[in-house]
Amino acid sequence: MDAFLLGASEVLSLTTLAMMLAGAVAGIIAAAIPGFTVTMAIVLTLPLTFTMDPLQGISVMLSVYVGGYTGGLISAALLGIPGTPSSVATTFDAFPMARNGEPGRALSLGVWASFFGTIISTAVLIVAAPPLAVFAVRLGPWEYFSLIVFALTIVASLVGNSLQRGLIAALIGLAISTIGADPIMGRPRFDMGWELLAAGLPFLVVLIGIFAISQLASEVEDAEAIKRGEKLVDGEIEFETWSVMREVLMRPINLIRSSMVGVAIGALPGAGGSIANLVAYDQAKRASQSPEEFGKGTPDGVVASEAGNSATAGGGLIPLISLGIPGSAVDAILMASLMVHGISVGPRLIMDNADLVYGMFLAMAVSSLMMLVLCVLSMRAFLRVAEVPKWVVVPVVLVCCVVGSFALNNRVTDLYLLAGVGVLGYALKALDYPLAPLVLGVILGPIAETNLRRALMTEPDWTLFLTRPVSLIFLVAAVLSVGWAIRGILKSGKQSRNGKDPA
Amino acid sequence: MSQPGHQTQAQESGEIARLLSYVGLLALSAGLFLEAWAIPTSRFEALGAGAFPMLVHACLSLLLVASIAGSLRRIPIDAYGRFAGAAAAWAREKRLVLVLFACLAVYVGAMPLIGYPVATLLFLIVLQITLAPKTRAALAVALVLSLIFSFGLNWLFAEVFNVFLPRGR
Repeated sequence: MDAFLLGASEVLSLTTLAMMLAGAVAGIIAAAIPGFTVTMAIVLTLPLTFTMDPLQGISVMLSVYVGGYTGGLISAALLGIPGTPSSVATTFDAFPMARNGEPGRALSLGVWASFFGTIISTAVLIVAAPPLAVFAVRLGPWEYFSLIVFALTIVASLVGNSLQRGLIAALIGLAISTIGADPIMGRPRFDMGWELLAAGLPFLVVLIGIFAISQLASEVEDAEAIKRGEKLVDGEIEFETWSVMREVLMRPINLIRSSMVGVAIGALPGAGGSIANLVAYDQAKRASQSPEEFGKGTPDGVVASEAGNSATAGGGLIPLISLGIPGSAVDAILMASLMVHGISVGPRLIMDNADLVYGMFLAMAVSSLMMLVLCVLSMRAFLRVAEVPKWVVVPVVLVCCVVGSFALNNRVTDLYLLAGVGVLGYALKALDYPLAPLVLGVILGPIAETNLRRALMTEPDWTLFLTRPVSLIFLVAAVLSVGWAIRGILKSGKQSRNGKDPA
Repeated sequence: MSQPGHQTQAQESGEIARLLSYVGLLALSAGLFLEAWAIPTSRFEALGAGAFPMLVHACLSLLLVASIAGSLRRIPIDAYGRFAGAAAAWAREKRLVLVLFACLAVYVGAMPLIGYPVATLLFLIVLQITLAPKTRAALAVALVLSLIFSFGLNWLFAEVFNVFLPRGR
């Protein structure tokens, strides 16, 4: 109790709260710009925390982290461009909702879902950190590969109008992920002798090119409308704070399920928000009584995606606090920040520095509350983006995409890739290929290949994928998931045939 | 009036465009499969660097062959003759998209030569004026925004974040 009070007194001091507020604002703004990720915002914050106390520094970084997960929602809902990889699924329903004249509701749903997702994950973090962490680190490459196979079955929920083209898009994504040095031996593959392909296609450049550039190009398709000064969203903009809070709370199962998915995926080293939001969305769609509404602006889709990605913030801290193993790039930076202050991160962290750990738990909760208040107070300003004419938004956001892509690695060749991937993304979109499975393929490809090869390097026995219990559970889940998807497709085909019969 | 089940001309042209995309992708995928085949396996592991790409391209090629067969069945013979005209009409309708991609290509191509601030200033002025309604207010807004997002953003990144955007030769 003393340790908790000591940690609380430091986190709740006026100076720390003021710095956390600045951190949350910085996180929201950074993540709202396509190309700038939460990781980049935290890297830029790290040097500023060197002069602070350890808990103060960590609290500021956690506020950037929590703010960043929410910030990605803003461009996802208003522009249809995921501000961060963890808000890809948010575009599926928040953007159509905004385009249907309800941008305020879309943002409000996302903000509340993010808030509850973070609070639920913090609660789980406090209760279940040690046992979950022990489970997560016992997983070997067999289990990881089977997990990725399961995650790939999400494609069935993201295929849009055609299952065939959805699968082709997912395989194109996997093929893109194989370009460049192979992940085990570093052997160059498919680079055609070009320097710009030698390092592979950076995931964020692909994400920005596929989603942002193709979406921006789609905005200028109607030449007459854009010349008239058409805005992004027409209609009245209303944030509807309290009614939306009730709307989110009226979906307790979706909220808790999505948050648990976020916590579980966040706790797995190497996975993270970019996978969690897609898995949570997929699970919500499968469990829904009206899955056909998903992708058209249903609140359930927004709640699932945002609760899922925000809950990974708490989940990622589980192996970090319990075992000293960072679950993601952001957690590695948090760990580095602690090490700079001479604190060794590992199983003894909670015993030697209990005040710090309790302070981190509290900082997570305070950050999410701060983010909520900030968003409620300032969302009207963000919503003004929707009132800006397209002829202003499109060129300016294109420049932001270019700057974001360059700033990732300081490589001009990434800009050529961005333009090339942008053209590919627009062409695929115009030909009615769904883009989400492609991005899923790019995310999961390297993890799948690495773990498949690592498993067979450790023990060249394929049956281990079936004889190791956790691996088998994931594979059975994958088979069930495919079966469920096929059943859904057959059912909707039957319904559409029955619908046509009477005519 | 179209009969039920009868494809419109736009749908037929779309299906032909998709068929062309399947053929292009199949050629690329088959080529990459062969390249992956040629990658030597390592003696340190059961699977080499080429195994996973071969698996991916084999699945992709099979799916593309099935898609090509399906498209060929769906497209009526006379639709091919109308495709060139439909494609030209599509390009005319989406002319601003083509302008946007042309501007983007010139912008990223010129950036290493003339530097971020000048390239961005020119890109924003040209694209905004192309897209904007032709009024003085729009022109003034375009000029101010171009200056902010070119020289202003360059200053912000260099002075605040210590990230230096391309300076040109």
